[in-house]
Amino acid sequence: MKKQDYKNMWVYIEHDGKTVSTVSLELCCEARKLCDVTGDKLVAVMVEGLPEAEVKKIRECAVDGLMVVSGTGYETYNNDAYTNLFTVLCQKYNPSAVFVGGTTNGRDFAPRFAARLNTGCTSDAIQVVYNPESGDIEFIEPAVGGKMMAVITVPVLRPQVGTIRPGTFKYEPTGEKANVEIIHETVNFDPAQSRTKLLKFVPEADDGSVNLAEEDVIVCIGNGVTGAEKLPKYQELAELLGGKVGGTRPMFDRGILPFKQMIGQSGVVVKPKLIISFGVSGAINHTAGIKDAGLFIAVNSDPEAAIFGVADYGIVGDMDEVCDLMIEALKAKQ
Amino acid sequence: MANFHSVTPELAEQLKAIVGEKRFQYGDKVKEDYSHDEMPIYGKFPPEAVCEVESTEEVSAILKLCNDNNIPVTARGAGTSLTGASVPIHGGVVVCTARMNKILSYDIPNMAVTVQPGVLLQDLAADVDKQGLYYPPDPGSKTSTVGGNVATNAGGMRAVKYGSTRDYVLALTVVLANGEVMQLGKTVCKTSTGYSLLHLMIGSEGTLGIITEMTLKLVPKPAMNVSVLLPFERIEDCIATVPKIRIANLDPQSIEFMGIDIVNSSSDFTGKKIFPTTYNKKEVDASILVTFVGENEDELYEKMEKLDALAAECGAIDTLVIDTPTLKTDVWAARSAFLNAIEGDTKILDELDVVVPVDQIANYLAFVRSVGDEVGLTIRNFGHAGDGNLHIYACTNDLEFDEFWKRNKVLMAKCYTECKRIGGQLSGEHGIGHAKKEYLEESVGEVPYRLMKAIKALFDPNGILNPGKVCS
Amino acid sequence: MLKILVCVKQVPDVNLVKIDPVTGSLIRDGVPAIMNPLDGNALEAAVQLKETYGGEITAVTMGPDAAMSVLRECVSVGASKAILLSDYAFKDADTLSTSYTIEKGASMFGKYDIILCGKETLDGATGQMGSQLAERFNTSFVSSAALIEKVDEKAGTVTVLRETEYGEETVEAKLPVLMTIEKTNYQPRIPNFKGKKFARTFEITKLTSDTIEGLDKNKIGAPGSGTIVPRTYPPEKTASGVMIDEGDDKKNVAKVMEILADKGLV
Repeated sequence: MKKQDYKNMWVYIEHDGKTVSTVSLELCCEARKLCDVTGDKLVAVMVEGLPEAEVKKIRECAVDGLMVVSGTGYETYNNDAYTNLFTVLCQKYNPSAVFVGGTTNGRDFAPRFAARLNTGCTSDAIQVVYNPESGDIEFIEPAVGGKMMAVITVPVLRPQVGTIRPGTFKYEPTGEKANVEIIHETVNFDPAQSRTKLLKFVPEADDGSVNLAEEDVIVCIGNGVTGAEKLPKYQELAELLGGKVGGTRPMFDRGILPFKQMIGQSGVVVKPKLIISFGVSGAINHTAGIKDAGLFIAVNSDPEAAIFGVADYGIVGDMDEVCDLMIEALKAKQ
Repeated sequence: MANFHSVTPELAEQLKAIVGEKRFQYGDKVKEDYSHDEMPIYGKFPPEAVCEVESTEEVSAILKLCNDNNIPVTARGAGTSLTGASVPIHGGVVVCTARMNKILSYDIPNMAVTVQPGVLLQDLAADVDKQGLYYPPDPGSKTSTVGGNVATNAGGMRAVKYGSTRDYVLALTVVLANGEVMQLGKTVCKTSTGYSLLHLMIGSEGTLGIITEMTLKLVPKPAMNVSVLLPFERIEDCIATVPKIRIANLDPQSIEFMGIDIVNSSSDFTGKKIFPTTYNKKEVDASILVTFVGENEDELYEKMEKLDALAAECGAIDTLVIDTPTLKTDVWAARSAFLNAIEGDTKILDELDVVVPVDQIANYLAFVRSVGDEVGLTIRNFGHAGDGNLHIYACTNDLEFDEFWKRNKVLMAKCYTECKRIGGQLSGEHGIGHAKKEYLEESVGEVPYRLMKAIKALFDPNGILNPGKVCS
Repeated sequence: MLKILVCVKQVPDVNLVKIDPVTGSLIRDGVPAIMNPLDGNALEAAVQLKETYGGEITAVTMGPDAAMSVLRECVSVGASKAILLSDYAFKDADTLSTSYTIEKGASMFGKYDIILCGKETLDGATGQMGSQLAERFNTSFVSSAALIEKVDEKAGTVTVLRETEYGEETVEAKLPVLMTIEKTNYQPRIPNFKGKKFARTFEITKLTSDTIEGLDKNKIGAPGSGTIVPRTYPPEKTASGVMIDEGDDKKNVAKVMEILADKGLV
């Protein structure tokens, strides 16, 4: 089969039976634009069990088709079941591309079914562009720690599989299409064949107060911070500004902030009205997560820091001292 | 000394004329940074004016003007001193050499480099490295200026093998208090040519003259290095190993000591647990970190083999090898975080920078701890075990400043007396400044102190150079 | 006795790689080659498993001869076999062909109960190798393993704590299993001198495309890859912001307060 014979683009719809994950909707919106160029149909592929009101959200992303899968083995996420599911479906329908949200689970099974299908898989593209000459999607992603941009394609094999991080693309639904084709598929996966089993699940402790994606003001700390004992002053500053503290990946790695307060491509994508960053160097993996911020002020002791190329205003200085002075100034205003 | 004049607007105009408007600060335009160094605990003293100098001629003109008008002049590099040495406690003019940051020339056949005083240590080290050579002195603060290093005879970890900054100064250009410029030293390997004014100038902390150019000795760059960590169950065994390593002719570049409390603080602080706290099911109480340099791997392995055997005899739990780039980065980041870690969980602290005979380290640390218990201050420490230079911190988290200071005074006095008794010195590498000034006479003795004062008066009859520091 | 395979990679320390401002190309001079940091956590997990349950560790890597140094790191802390897959024919392999090559090479020396690798590499950072190696070795797969709680050799299972964005999962996986290891609980240990000395002269098994048994040469290197990199380019420079430099921190902060007030943000 030639690559031209593979038609249509798929987006895997991740859901928990109650709500659809935002990244799936973001991918539908972005894949819609690609399909408008290529003439492919956009098909959302999901396991059954999502309430109609949520399905409506998918339709509003102007999908051409909805493939609803029923069968055994999908109650909780399972690597074997989902690998098998996408292998079977792709072998039957031969899609040109499959997009999967770059969540922990998406990144868990997508490369595996790509390997089983013997096709190419890319991850973490921040831009996808169709190249009419080659007929391939160009997955553009930061490489070498964000110092280079690399164009990655799947030049021969199909489908073109890509995992994309949450928040990379915008969720901007363009409206429901008139004739959405509904495809029902049944693929059973024998639980006995499943090699992993979820024994226990403890949801991320949620204090209910931090959802950085919704915050208007964020104080963001980076690897310049000397240690966890400095966190309270940044929290105080955030509080005075009416916002919350977030951080870069190293803040999670160093145990200073929880996963959900990590800003960037591999964490939360934020869109505050104001973000003040302290001791953040400005690697693209992080700045990709703040590109929609309003006013952006950066404080760093290194005048050459890349963050100053991204921020609206920059201050070269000791992060702790500047933070203290900001707290002082804000208190004086009160 | 009380008769210093202030910098009047007329004098300010004359100073401004020397360096130009952009490099001159006066009155309330003076940046706050100039009023303190890295130990603001010793007080903040803003200068009346700051001149950011760019040449020997400017320094000469400023000193002449100030000498004629009896205005104090304090030289300052990057302000990383830990004794108040670069702080103008009598006001007057600060001559800041930070802009004099050019590496002027290399003399490769004679292995020397000529630099301006404001070159940062880290910039010099990197540039020399590019030439395939090595500038061994490595004081902890890599963003200190080399001029400041010379003025305090700064040390650093590599002093065990290479000595301190003093051993790398070949020649200096110095401006005297009256504005006269003199050259001291030559780019030669040895000298027996009268009194060494050069060595008098090194470590004089800006009280005898202002250094405006320096020629420094370089050595061949070692091809590679490796660090070895020796964890011990008992601090006494750990410290007793240090002299044995030296006698065994293993020629380490550095031997650093770390107690378990500082290791824990550092790992809490950096969020990375690099140094083991238990090993082979044994509790680690203290460790030493030994660094070797060499020309090839065989040479380093030979040294490590000997050290491994010696360490086992001395009761080390094991000999751990730090030779990959990742481990080296992690280990030195953890080591560099020691001071920050102490500062991080301490409200107020003061420091000792004593140097004691290597075999006295354990005794002295025990003594300081007992005084700490007696006066009610927490004692933290780490240091350069290989040369007996100890950084000991008297800390509190709950006392108010006045009470801390009162207890601290008692502690310092006792510790310095004991230091002298066991044959130690007041400062190993940070200098005297005004923080340790009151202990200098007791430390060096009455006659030497009198001579120091006489020398100061000879160089600087009006006493305008960094007044209130060292012996002035 | 557990047979453990740990997959490691030598990478340039990309944090130290600079971009030539004129040509836009990467400057790798003087950039040290290191063991991929997260692979160090996988190695530590392997060593801890061996200490707890007994067993033997095999280390495998694909790369040039210089990559032997990362295998020696593995040997210095307890690996008893080290395999280097090195051939010009492996050049430009993506994860599809690399995972194939590693499975073929490592499987020549038997079957493994537990295969460990880092979550992603510093240079490629696709994070796909674990998933695809699990496919190649035909094992169960647990990604983002934070803690290996228990290995039950009789039952043929392993119990693993897993960190995800939703929370903490306890997963039971059948042996053989492939796990990608988080750094949380597996800070790499410092090797001792005896281990280093042993590793220094340890004989590493080197395999090429000709000596790996049953290797399909269409499935290796560039021809076996699903993806290619047709081009790279430097990231676009965003318009530089305004630097606030009013003299000192205090004045800078005052200026920031003005800006915030202007925009109605305070």
